[in-house]
Amino acid sequence: MSEALPIEAAAGAHAAGAAEPVVGAERERARRLTLRYLLSATAILGVAGIFGVMMRDSQADVGRLPDAWFYALMTAHGLGAFVGWAAFAVMGLSYWVLAQVGFPLRRLGSALAEATWWLMIAGVAGIVVTCVGFRYGGSWVFLYPISFHSAGVWGRWTAFFFSFSVLLVGLSIVTWCLSVLDTVLGPALHAVSKNVFNRLGVAMGFGYAAPKRFATNSRPVPYAVIPLTVIAVDMIIATLPLAILLVEMMIQSLTPSVHVDPLLAKNVLWWFGHPVVYLLLFPAVAVYYLLVPRYAGRQLVAGNVIAVAWAIAVTANVLVWAHHIYIDYPQGSPQAALNVAMQPVTFSLTVVSALSLYSLFFTMYRSRFQWNAAATALFLGLVSWLLSGLSGVVNATIAFDAVIHNTLWIVGHFHQMALLNIGLVIIGATYAWLPELVDKPLYSEAMAKWHVWLTFLLATANSAVWLYQGLLGAPRRFAVLPHEYDGATQAAIPITIALGAAQLLFAWNIVATVRGKGVERAARPAGRAPRRLSDVAAEALIVLLAIGLSVPAGVVGWVVGRYAVTPRTRTVTVSAANQTTAPASTGTLPATTAASGGGDPAAGKGVFTSAGCAGCHTLKAAGSVGTVGPNLDQVQPSRALVIDRVTHGKGAMPSFAGQLSAQQIEDVAAYVVASR
Amino acid sequence: MGRTATIIAVSYTIVCAVAIVLLAVIAASTRGRRTLDEGALERLGERERTWFAIVVVLLVALLFATIFFTPYGRSAGPDAQVEKIEGLQFAWLVPGKPLEAGRPVEFRLTSRDVSHGFAVYTSRGRLLFQVQVTPGKTQTYVYTFKRPGTYKIICLEYCGLDHARMQSRLTVVK
Repeated sequence: MSEALPIEAAAGAHAAGAAEPVVGAERERARRLTLRYLLSATAILGVAGIFGVMMRDSQADVGRLPDAWFYALMTAHGLGAFVGWAAFAVMGLSYWVLAQVGFPLRRLGSALAEATWWLMIAGVAGIVVTCVGFRYGGSWVFLYPISFHSAGVWGRWTAFFFSFSVLLVGLSIVTWCLSVLDTVLGPALHAVSKNVFNRLGVAMGFGYAAPKRFATNSRPVPYAVIPLTVIAVDMIIATLPLAILLVEMMIQSLTPSVHVDPLLAKNVLWWFGHPVVYLLLFPAVAVYYLLVPRYAGRQLVAGNVIAVAWAIAVTANVLVWAHHIYIDYPQGSPQAALNVAMQPVTFSLTVVSALSLYSLFFTMYRSRFQWNAAATALFLGLVSWLLSGLSGVVNATIAFDAVIHNTLWIVGHFHQMALLNIGLVIIGATYAWLPELVDKPLYSEAMAKWHVWLTFLLATANSAVWLYQGLLGAPRRFAVLPHEYDGATQAAIPITIALGAAQLLFAWNIVATVRGKGVERAARPAGRAPRRLSDVAAEALIVLLAIGLSVPAGVVGWVVGRYAVTPRTRTVTVSAANQTTAPASTGTLPATTAASGGGDPAAGKGVFTSAGCAGCHTLKAAGSVGTVGPNLDQVQPSRALVIDRVTHGKGAMPSFAGQLSAQQIEDVAAYVVASR
Repeated sequence: MGRTATIIAVSYTIVCAVAIVLLAVIAASTRGRRTLDEGALERLGERERTWFAIVVVLLVALLFATIFFTPYGRSAGPDAQVEKIEGLQFAWLVPGKPLEAGRPVEFRLTSRDVSHGFAVYTSRGRLLFQVQVTPGKTQTYVYTFKRPGTYKIICLEYCGLDHARMQSRLTVVK
């Protein structure tokens, strides 16, 4: 790896921005931080990945989860994998990137980086506890006001602590941004300018476009610094409004009279929800900018136009949120105009990817690229970036979004972007830098290559199934998919299980490397005593490995048990939801029966069909076959029970008091009783 | 899938196939004997400007090819059948009266509690259209059913515990 350093150093020699790696205590500080972030994030990946495999298997009816559990795991998986793994990992890698290009963390930056780690750990822990412990299932977008309409699954304190936990994650992102800004505006650029705004411009790459204004020569800052600065600026702008919404939601959890406009809340959510994708991508680009040239043995092939790309990025990133709500444009709101305006702005972001990919691919082209495991991961990451970027372009069109919105196509798209592009960068950077971070050689290069290729192929196949199902109209976020999609869902099962199992190679390699097993394998000459891993880290890694191993074992055991003992049934429409709502109807009612009623069964039949009862309940007399609520032919509720439930609702069943008159409720009760 | 979506999906697949071939070329080029000299690398860096221009032109073309296919601002005219549907956890309250084929339907959609997604599928599971329903707002959507029959309404915005079962039917007659 060191062979590329002279090039960086040569660039630095005549550059105003230093490009020599930091050394001494400053290197040690960055090393410890990066290692800690990387190992914690990998542990979170283990847990979030297990949830993911469980959800996909459940959809295929291999270990069907009760619905409330499915949505709780879905929420934990979304936030856990996206923020707790991918964002957390690249946030940590950023400190090592900065150290490599000569930007030392100062005291303030270090303190903020420390705070970031604790806030993220506390936030993710809070999310896992509220989701897994108390079954909060609002999905990672917790689309306002779903937190306060739990259908009886979670309570207001759970909603409160969920919002609080997400707030901690948001604050963690803000402190990370501040630590990055403190670092990039620090001493490394003092030689360029004493003016802090000038330094900010330099760090965002403006010097390449306007060298007279922003730099003293044509190569003012290492390329890897640019995306980190851009995202640090944007994420502060993106996160603060969401933080305010989260505080509002905490207040609303305990004081229901407080509320905000749901459409405004939706805009605020996506104001954050889009840039947070780039919280993953831009630091990953910084890693590409640093490592791809290193393995190619030359400098990044980039023209000054790259500055234009990043100037577009910093502005467009916070002006594209509405492409997540293209098909939401209620009467009397400016949403339709906003949505149309954001299609071209979204397109402009493509320029950033197009120019970066141009630079990176031509940096590789006809080079003597070292195809080791890390470099292979980075190349396959670039492949995924290109393919998922292309699907991103078509998703950005309103015409196509109207078709694939909230279908599994979207799930396929973002797994290709996050799990493959970002994930392979994290994996590649781990193989490239773990040896430096623990000062021990990688345990097995061959195992690493197997892991990289298996992950790429299996995760691509996994995304391809989702993309295909989405084109057929399969909805996302469905605990139980309509049966026409069963074939493809079942085909995905071996893929997801193998993908999960392939990560064991990753865990094994990390543990063995950290424990110094690579030293024994390489049989290095004496004189370099292997360092011992701290006990805490060793224990954490063993736990991670154990969890990773037990999941496929558990799944295999479960499958064997299920198919060996019980004959396979396909009646999946009767689900756990019935069990959750059944007590609502079969529970005994207080002995206060309503006064003898004047309900008219004939009129009640009309009410039954028009008020939506038939949508959820089976009642032979009405010809309805709904399976959401209890089967009324079987339950045979009393008149008083029907009146009570229709009037007050219970569990998943809403109150109809505002919609139906007392007479209509009497009528429908009389009809249900008469239809026994 | 409708026509526009089919065209986009097919184009996407073709572009992906081309991209994969180019990627293979780049990967293979690193195994060859010839490498690029400093001058060639310099020129490639400068040529990034040309690539920038190409990308912008392509995007503008794609923008004009797609931007006019939005569902916004459709008007139904005086002949429309107005269909008021309310969504609530976890049902669609659909008026019982059947709709007529060949005559525009103006859906007026509201939600009583949380955000829902109003999607209409054919009985064979083909998605015809979808639109979001935000609580406190009225969302309109104009659609003309060509054929009589039974259509499925499925909620496509996650709305809680029984989201996957929030389904209903629309009857369309001649």
